[in-house]
Amino acid sequence: MQQTLEDFYKVVRAAGVNISPSDSIETSRSVTLVGYSNRQILKNAFQVSLAKSLAEQDLVAECFEQYFRFNTFETIEQLGHEQKNSADANADEAIPVPTDEYQGDQPLAKMLLDRDAASLSTEMKKAAREVGLSDIWFFTQKSLYTQQIMQKMGLRDLQNEIAQAAGKGDCPGGTGLAEELRQAKDYLAEQVKDFVEQQLSMFGKNAAKNLREEHLQSAKLSNIEQRDFHIMHHLVLKMAKRLSTQYSRKKKRENRGQLDFRKTLRRNAAYDGVLFETYWKTKYIDKPRLMVMCDVSGSVQAYARFLLLFVYSLNDVMTRIDSYVFTGNLINVNDIFEDYPVEQAIDIIMDRHGLGGSDYGTTLLDLEDQCMDDIDNKTTVLILGDARNNFLAPRSEVMQLLYQRAKRVIWLNPEPENFWKTGDSVMYKYRPYCHLASTCNTLEHLERMLDKLLKAATGTV
Amino acid sequence: MKKLYQDTFRSVEEIQNRFEEAKYICSDQIATCVYIAHNLQKPILVEGPAGVGKTELAKTTAEILDVPLVRLQCYEGLDESKALYEWKYAKQLLYTQLLKDKLGELLEGASGLSESMDKIHSHDDLFFSESFLEPRPLYKALHEELGCVLLIDEVDKSDHEFEAFLLEILSEFQVSIPELGTIKAKIKPLVFLTSNNSRELSDALKRRCLHLYIPYPDEKLESRILSSRVPELSDTLRKEVVSFVQNVRELDLKKVPSISETIDWAKTLLLLHSEQLDPPMVKQTLNVLLKFETDIEAMRDHTMAFINKAHKRSGT
Repeated sequence: MQQTLEDFYKVVRAAGVNISPSDSIETSRSVTLVGYSNRQILKNAFQVSLAKSLAEQDLVAECFEQYFRFNTFETIEQLGHEQKNSADANADEAIPVPTDEYQGDQPLAKMLLDRDAASLSTEMKKAAREVGLSDIWFFTQKSLYTQQIMQKMGLRDLQNEIAQAAGKGDCPGGTGLAEELRQAKDYLAEQVKDFVEQQLSMFGKNAAKNLREEHLQSAKLSNIEQRDFHIMHHLVLKMAKRLSTQYSRKKKRENRGQLDFRKTLRRNAAYDGVLFETYWKTKYIDKPRLMVMCDVSGSVQAYARFLLLFVYSLNDVMTRIDSYVFTGNLINVNDIFEDYPVEQAIDIIMDRHGLGGSDYGTTLLDLEDQCMDDIDNKTTVLILGDARNNFLAPRSEVMQLLYQRAKRVIWLNPEPENFWKTGDSVMYKYRPYCHLASTCNTLEHLERMLDKLLKAATGTV
Repeated sequence: MKKLYQDTFRSVEEIQNRFEEAKYICSDQIATCVYIAHNLQKPILVEGPAGVGKTELAKTTAEILDVPLVRLQCYEGLDESKALYEWKYAKQLLYTQLLKDKLGELLEGASGLSESMDKIHSHDDLFFSESFLEPRPLYKALHEELGCVLLIDEVDKSDHEFEAFLLEILSEFQVSIPELGTIKAKIKPLVFLTSNNSRELSDALKRRCLHLYIPYPDEKLESRILSSRVPELSDTLRKEVVSFVQNVRELDLKKVPSISETIDWAKTLLLLHSEQLDPPMVKQTLNVLLKFETDIEAMRDHTMAFINKAHKRSGT
């Protein structure tokens, strides 16, 4: 029974419910307590012990129904009927083969001929356990496991039996038996295959999806296709949520912690220096102010999309986000983000301002004109671009100014570092004026960068 | 009064029957959960919308087991001094004032500061003993001789810090008081935590509990609950009330009526001597069922249709 329970936990885990070892121990205790006699109560016991939320309760219930379903071989009675019917139509004298005619001692053949659904099902499950069917997680493993289970159940012997029976070709009973066994074998194969498919659907429920997500996380952003955008969106939100819970926890430290002596003295000067009111050092998280500048020219558009999506999903851990896009000129797109939901806003921006060759020099001059005054020592400037300047003037002196004013300047470049000095790339000229410049071309890079940014901004290094 | 774990429930059905005797109609799931919790001495985390009987479940359990119910209502800012214990500062002060003269006598003959200090030290434990301790719910629950049902209500309203503090109590059933040492429960209390999901509870807390979700009841269950809670209600009216409320729940409302509201409404109708639902009566008493003006407004178009459905349901 222990194995059965463990396999069930595996199924529930595959469905996405987190079960820790202590959970499984406690659950096993609960199950032992309520016993197996009442299906409904057993199900309830699993639900209350394994699930941690309403959604998980439904998942557990679903898994329970799927896992504890005993319908294998329930169609065994129909086995051989079709053949008999057709035989009847062909020749009336063909006598249906009575099953007790089988004299051999091969257990599998016997079970099949006896239509012993219960034993067959037990044997199959035993074989499945021996070959480790619960480890199945991908559809390509289906036939392998089917074959292995059949072998364990004694397929080879059954085949020998069939060959032998067929060999007695001169005796009509012999061929009849061979035919029947052959049919039984096909039936068995079908049943085992069904069973394996069923198990795959339980054990491998999320495996394929997880594999895909894993792949997308480390795929180059420019290679991601339109049809995967919704999965990407979901992934970005998930990552953003993780980051924001990490950095948004309110710290209630008032009246606790250290006495701020200077402030206390200053405040109590009014009371003749009698320390009447105390003032405590409070810790609070300083939310960063972010200015994002994205190159939206053809070469980096895909990256800009995901960066913007990510940054705006982090809304609640930032005090303020100012976003600009550029190809030749710097354009403020705050209003579009205010008017539309993030995803739609990004589409609109790409439509309106995308394409065209980038000119970093002009952009930086625009920056100096338009927003240098807004940038102070609390602002983090995030620039996304490949710094391919089409051989125009780079204007790195503006970068220097920016470097001096802003709290941090971070440059994300989709190209790997050894490309930064090749062709028309002027990255090597900007690089000295960035606090951090790094390659960023997958979702994982993006997450890591934003994590660093928040870490530095909140001072929780 | 019996000990908490003296007579264990033998089966899930037994619990259901005992609860029914105490006028609490519970589903299989609730009964199974209480059964496991009582036998394995595990806390239960009860979730569900307001008014489905989460708090009532704890109360009824205490009643059935014939043990006291200790209740701790959680709110933002709740801390150890409100939940566990506090020193009776006023009493301590008063006693020192009263005993001032005695102190003089006590210190008589002592020469030097350190000797006086030593003399006082030999007595100061008196002021930090249990007679100066103000017990709060958690402390009380651990101290009950015969065990008790501990209800920690609306735990989602408390702060993260308090939740972390609860972990020690829920897994070990002991707390440390610096002045008195570690206090261990004489008999582990049966703990119910309720939550309205106003914030996500930590995994650590959830892991220590059985998780029970009480949804709105279906028609059959609600009818049984109503007949047990308001037995004077006629069959016809009960069927009509239940059918009406079930229909209301399917609307998109700000606050969907729960069981407690159904019971209140049934009682109201009973008080007004109505035989069956009729439009003016329903309109006048709708405020018992729905708590927001916008909801009552939204109901207006549906009232007639729902009453007709209810009539059909009761066969009149």
